[in-house]
Amino acid sequence: MISRVADHCFWFGRYVERAEATARMLGAASSLALDAELPPAQVWRPVIVVTGEEQQFRESQAGDTDDHPAWGDAELVQRFMVWAEHNGSSLHQTLRAARWNARSIREVLSLETWEAINELHLWSDSSGAQTIYANHRDQFYHHVRRGTQLALGLMRSTMLHDEPLDFIWLGVLLERVSQTARMLDVQHHAFTAASKNPTGGEIIETALWLSLLRALSGSEAYLKRSAGRVSSDAVARFLVSEAAFPRSIAYCVHSAYDRLADIRPPDRHDLPGGSALEQLRVLDVWVTARGKEPLGSSVHDLLTHVVDEVHEICGLLGKELLGAA
Amino acid sequence: MQSQSQSQSGPVAQLLGLFENYPSLAETYDEMFDGSTPRGPFARVAALLDKMRPEELARAQALAETALLQQGVTFSVYGDSRGTEKIFPFCLLPRIVAAEDFRRLDRGLQQRMRALSMFLDDIYGEQKILAAGVIPTEMIHGAGAYRPMLRGLKPPGGVRIHIAGVDLIRDTAGTWRVLEDNLRTPSGVSYVVENRLISKRMFPRVFDAARVHRVDHYPTRLAETLRSVSPVSEDVNAVVLTPGPFNSAYFEHSFLARTMGLELVQAPDLFVDGDKVYCRTTRGPKRVDVIYRRTDEAFLDPDVFRPDSVLGVRGLMKAYAAGNVALANAPGNGVADDKAVYPFVPDMIDFYLSEEPILEQVRTWVCLFEDDRKFVLEHLDEMVVKAVDEAGGYGMLMGPQASKAELDEFRTKITAEPRRYIAQQRVELSSCPTWIPDSSSRASGAISLSPSGRVEPRRVDLRPYILTSREGPWVLPGGLTRVALKRGSYVVNSSQGGGSKDTWVMKEKA
Repeated sequence: MISRVADHCFWFGRYVERAEATARMLGAASSLALDAELPPAQVWRPVIVVTGEEQQFRESQAGDTDDHPAWGDAELVQRFMVWAEHNGSSLHQTLRAARWNARSIREVLSLETWEAINELHLWSDSSGAQTIYANHRDQFYHHVRRGTQLALGLMRSTMLHDEPLDFIWLGVLLERVSQTARMLDVQHHAFTAASKNPTGGEIIETALWLSLLRALSGSEAYLKRSAGRVSSDAVARFLVSEAAFPRSIAYCVHSAYDRLADIRPPDRHDLPGGSALEQLRVLDVWVTARGKEPLGSSVHDLLTHVVDEVHEICGLLGKELLGAA
Repeated sequence: MQSQSQSQSGPVAQLLGLFENYPSLAETYDEMFDGSTPRGPFARVAALLDKMRPEELARAQALAETALLQQGVTFSVYGDSRGTEKIFPFCLLPRIVAAEDFRRLDRGLQQRMRALSMFLDDIYGEQKILAAGVIPTEMIHGAGAYRPMLRGLKPPGGVRIHIAGVDLIRDTAGTWRVLEDNLRTPSGVSYVVENRLISKRMFPRVFDAARVHRVDHYPTRLAETLRSVSPVSEDVNAVVLTPGPFNSAYFEHSFLARTMGLELVQAPDLFVDGDKVYCRTTRGPKRVDVIYRRTDEAFLDPDVFRPDSVLGVRGLMKAYAAGNVALANAPGNGVADDKAVYPFVPDMIDFYLSEEPILEQVRTWVCLFEDDRKFVLEHLDEMVVKAVDEAGGYGMLMGPQASKAELDEFRTKITAEPRRYIAQQRVELSSCPTWIPDSSSRASGAISLSPSGRVEPRRVDLRPYILTSREGPWVLPGGLTRVALKRGSYVVNSSQGGGSKDTWVMKEKA
C-alpha cells in the first residue's frame, strides 16, 4: 500500500487509542477523587505527568505557584486535558487529529468505521458535548470511550484484515504499550513516594492500584488472576507480563510484532521494514524474559527501556515503511 | 421539440397538499408544473409527493442533512484555515426528467462528445478544421488552454475526454440548451450517487412508482473506462490523483477511489523512473498504468507546465508521451471547452460528423466577426459579454444590469480587442419545486420540534456525466441538478447559496 496512506493508518490507530486512554484515565481519576480521601494533587498531578505536558500545563495556568500548583485543581486539570486548544494531548485535539487522519484515508476505512469516528468528532465539537461535560462529567468520558471502542471494534469487524488494518492496529498497540508503561511508571513513582509518608494506609494503597487498573480497563481481569489480592508487585507484574491481558506490555509488544510480521514477513529480505521488525522482535524477547524474574525495584528502569525502545521502533517504521524523510 | 403530450394528460386530481397554490414563476419553464397542473409524465409522482405532510418533509430534510454531515459528504470551504467543511445543501424534492427528454439528451450528448473528441485529435494533430477556415486560427492560438507542446502526441487508448460534465439549462420554452462543456476535471458526480441513496431511503414508495434509472453503477463504469485505456492489459494499476484533503472536492476524490477500489494518491506518492510512473508503497515502488487525475493540469508536471511549481510529478509528461501511462482526462482538453471555442461546436459537429446538432446551445456572438461585433455593440445592454480568457465571473458584463460607464468601458474594450470577447443572450433557467424550510428551523441548526416549510419554485440546471472508453461515449442516466436556493437567484454554485437535488431519469414505458 501507499506509504503515506500507511502513515495515516498508523497515526489514526494511535490517536484513537490515545483518545480512549485519556478518557479512561480522566474518568478513573474523577472516580478516585470521590472514593479515596486523597489530596487532589495526588489524584490529578499524575494525569498531567503521564501525558508529558507538565511544564506546558503549569505555564498555561495563570494562578499557578509552587505553593499552590494548578494540578491541585481538578477542574483546571480536566479543562486542560479535555478542551485546551494549545494542548496537543487534549481529548478534543486528539479526536480532531484522529478524524483528520481518518479523512485522509477515507477510501481505506470502512464506511462504518469512518462514521463512528466522524460522529464522535462532530459530537465533541457540538454544544451538546459541552453541556454533558458541564453537568455529567462521567457520562462525558463514557461517551468518548464508547465512541472510540466502537471505532476500534468496527474496524475489526467490517474491514478487510489486511495491510491497512495491520498498520492501524500496529499504531493502536504501540500507543497502548506507551500508555500502559507511562501510567504504571507514574503511579509506581507516586506510590513509592506516598508509602514513605506515614499517613498513607493500606486502604489508600489499594484504592490507588485499583484506580490504575480501572484506568487501564484491567481491574476485573486483574482480580480474576489474583483472586482478589491487591499489592503493588502483583499489579506491576500483571501490567507488564500478563500474556492474556490485552493492555499488558508483554501482550501489546508481542501482538505488535505479529502485526508487523504480517506486513513485512521475516523471511522477505527484499522488502523494506527489516530493521523495525528486528528491533521489535528483540524487545518482545526481552519483555518476555522479564516475566521470569522478580521485578523488585527495577520497574522504573524496565518501563523506561520499553518507552525508549518503542520510540525508536516508531522512528524506524517511519523511515522504512511510512515514507518519512 | 418537447413532449407535445405533456399538457394534454387529461383530467388530473386536484393537488391540495404540498403543491397546493404552487406559485409558478412567470416567463419561466417549470420542470414539474404547467401552470398549476403537473406535466403529463409526472402526474403520478406529483400526486404521491403532494400527499406528504410538510412536517414529514421537514423532518426528512433535517435527517438527510444530518446524515450527510455524519457521513462526511462535505466540501471544504476555501480560505478557511480551520478546515471548515460544509454539506452541499440538499433538497429532497427530486428533479425529474421524462424518458423522452432523456432519450434526446443521451443522443445529443454522445454526438457532442464524438465531435469534441475529434476536434481535440485534430487540433493536436493536423488542424484540418483551421485549414478549412471553419474556426479562425487566432481563436485557437489565442485560447489560454491550448497547449502547443502537446501537438503530435497521441494519448494511450486514443481517448481524451474520459469524463465529461456538460452543463445544460432549459429556456422559457423548455428547450434544453448546452451552457458549457467541462472536459478537464468536472466534479459533482459523487453527489449524484449520494443524493440517490438519500432519496431512496426517504421516499421508497414514490421512488418505486416513478420507475427511475439507477445511477449507482457509475463508479463501476468509470473503473472500466479507466482500465480500457491502460497501456498494459494485465493487472492494470489505476489510481486517483488528488491535490489532498484541503481541496474543496476531496470528498469526491476519496469517494471515487473507494467506490472503484483504487488507491487515492497525492503527487508526492508518485515518481517517474525511466519514463515509467511508480507509486511509493510499503513494499517498494509499484508501477502505475492509469491516472485519473483530479488535479489541474498546470500542476501535473513542473518540468512541462509550471517550472516555478514544486507541486506535481517530475517527468510525468515524458512518461505520458512515451505511452507508458494514461492520464484521464488528457492534458490539453481545455482548448475544447474554452469560451472562445464553444460557439463553434455546432460547426464541429457538421465538419467532423456531417450531422445536424441534436442539442441546441445558447446563442453566442463572436466579436471577432464584424457582423457579430456590430450586433453586439448595438445591443450591448441586452447582452452578457464574457472575456474568453477569464473565468469565475471575472471580465464579464451583465448588460441588463450594467451602468452606462460599464457599458462604455466594454464598448471600448471590445472595439480594441475583439478577439477577446464573446457575447450571449441572457439565459433563463427553468424552475423546479423546491422545499424551503422556515428560516427559524434552519437557522438554529437543530432539528426543531415542529419543523415546517413550503414548496416554492427555484432555478435549476443539470450536469449530466459522460464517460468515454475505447468503445465510445456512455451517458449516465441521471446527473447533478444544482438549484439556486435563494429566491430570485440564478446562481446555482455551492459557494453562493446553491444546493443540489437528486435527478430522476424516468425509464421508458415497458
